[in-house]
Amino acid sequence: MVNPVLLIAVPLGLTFAVPLFGLISKKIIKFFPIAAFLFNLIISLLLIPTALESPVIVKIGGFPPPFCINLVAGPVGVLFSTIIALAGFLVAIYSLVYIKEGPQEKYHILYLLLLTGATGVVMTGDIFNLFVFFEILCISSYALVAYMGDRSGIESAVKYLIQGALGSSLLLIGIGLLYGLFGSLNMADLANQIQSTSSNFVFIPLFLIVTGLGVEAAIFPLNAWLPDAHSSAPSSISAILSGIAIEVGLYAVVRIIFTVFGITNFYIFFVFLGVLTLLIGEMSAFSQNNIKRMLAYSSIGQIGFIVFAIAIATSDAVTGGLFQMISHTLSKGLLFLAAGYMIIRSGSMEISSLEGMGKRMPLTSLAFTIGAFSLVGLPPFVGFPSKLLIIKSALAKEEILFTLLIGIALLATVIEGTYFFRVIQVIYFKEEKEGSNRQDAPAAALIPMFLFMILIIVIGIYPKIVTGILNSAASEFLNKMDYIRSVLL
Amino acid sequence: MNIPHIISFLQGTIYYIGAFGLIFIGLLIMLLKSNLIKMIIGLNILDTGVNLLLISVGYISKGTAPVFSNPALENQTMVDPVPQALVLTAIVIGVSVLALALSLAIRLYHHYGVLDLREIREQRW
Repeated sequence: MVNPVLLIAVPLGLTFAVPLFGLISKKIIKFFPIAAFLFNLIISLLLIPTALESPVIVKIGGFPPPFCINLVAGPVGVLFSTIIALAGFLVAIYSLVYIKEGPQEKYHILYLLLLTGATGVVMTGDIFNLFVFFEILCISSYALVAYMGDRSGIESAVKYLIQGALGSSLLLIGIGLLYGLFGSLNMADLANQIQSTSSNFVFIPLFLIVTGLGVEAAIFPLNAWLPDAHSSAPSSISAILSGIAIEVGLYAVVRIIFTVFGITNFYIFFVFLGVLTLLIGEMSAFSQNNIKRMLAYSSIGQIGFIVFAIAIATSDAVTGGLFQMISHTLSKGLLFLAAGYMIIRSGSMEISSLEGMGKRMPLTSLAFTIGAFSLVGLPPFVGFPSKLLIIKSALAKEEILFTLLIGIALLATVIEGTYFFRVIQVIYFKEEKEGSNRQDAPAAALIPMFLFMILIIVIGIYPKIVTGILNSAASEFLNKMDYIRSVLL
Repeated sequence: MNIPHIISFLQGTIYYIGAFGLIFIGLLIMLLKSNLIKMIIGLNILDTGVNLLLISVGYISKGTAPVFSNPALENQTMVDPVPQALVLTAIVIGVSVLALALSLAIRLYHHYGVLDLREIREQRW
């Protein structure tokens, strides 16, 4: 059996090997992230069959669970670590040619740290350990947003850092209060004690923790940093921030609300918050002229849709929400990667400067189009089955409220379709300007885009590949007793 | 309430009052000031308050370290070591956020010549 500790230990070890090997040769360090996440991808895929039978619990230090930090590689953890490793691997290949300026060694170190932190957040079963990994993720993403060192990058990084640090402090206060109340940091043990307590005092740490994590998860109204940060970062980092970082934040929120606190009468609040986030994100995206800001606002919308789906809290709806996360990672990753080279070739982030891209960069334009179609939810791409599942599960509630809300969500999808088709129209049906650069993206950037495209189409046509693990992951979120039992016994 | 009552009340809660006082001072500075350096100072005060809160959760007045070297020591007089380990980690994290924030402040000043975030508004919703 493979040990899930390797998922964290190997990338972390390689991170600190980067400066050492950088002394010998500057060329090999580029391949460290690729090696690390290829390894993580293989380990995660090997762990899936074991984790589906019963969660793998790793007791670090050998003490039995409430007393030490433990890793829980259940269906949810393995699902997320697979997504993280997959996106990390593909974007690392893209970075080989995309990152040409700036301190490259530091880029690779921070990139490895960011994704190690993300893997740690989804694997850990200890709430303080979750905070530590979360801070690794956040601090490296603050630094990566400022990687280019230009005016907008520094400004967005400062705003992101101030808001993120405030959120982390709230999270830590919440954890401190929880420890004071229950004398434990193990999430399963906390969940066990919280369900037998009658004290209303647990709402204060709940509020603090959810607010703190909500900053990184970009839930409205805590998402003011997101459009600046995602549009000023290098495109490879935007793909990771949009596809991985906010979803890991959302995972933490869902884990805290569903498993640790299990406060079911709060879900309806998140249903409304999700729809509100969706509408605000899509409407702001509609009025953008800058392509990366448009994609960033669209991420806010997608996060809102996922929050809405998960907060419905039926088995199908949570499955749909997790499926939507996969589809968002694949589609938005592809969109940012394609947009990255379009911006380099046209020299501007304005949508109007993309005129005639369909002739100038046919392959990159194809990638962008497929990503956009998938995000909007057209068949046969992956966005279609995931959105369909969410809509079906919301209608299955047979309540007038949910039917109304799904109507609003569909309206938001129409808005999303409108602005994406506007971009696609500019790309394909506008004449190119005289003397423009006709060179397509280099091969090392096209390969990850094609792999993303293949995954989008294959999972879109055969959604059965992922439904097995998605169903187990949804039931891990919904049956907190199983989670508690598997960790504590 | 007479004086001994107040003293015994304060003995139990003075650390929490201090910790939450620092947290609120830090929060107010971060929300009300627009100068980046002052916001970073506020963040640091907030961090200190959180650390004090964590320490006071496990603190026992006149307690000792939980080392079983002396058989006469009882469990009730031992200070909980877990929050102290947490605070060590939290201090390290706080220092790294502070270092990153200050270096970003230097770069921001190079680009804009001001540190007032109200005057730096190139990015808009």
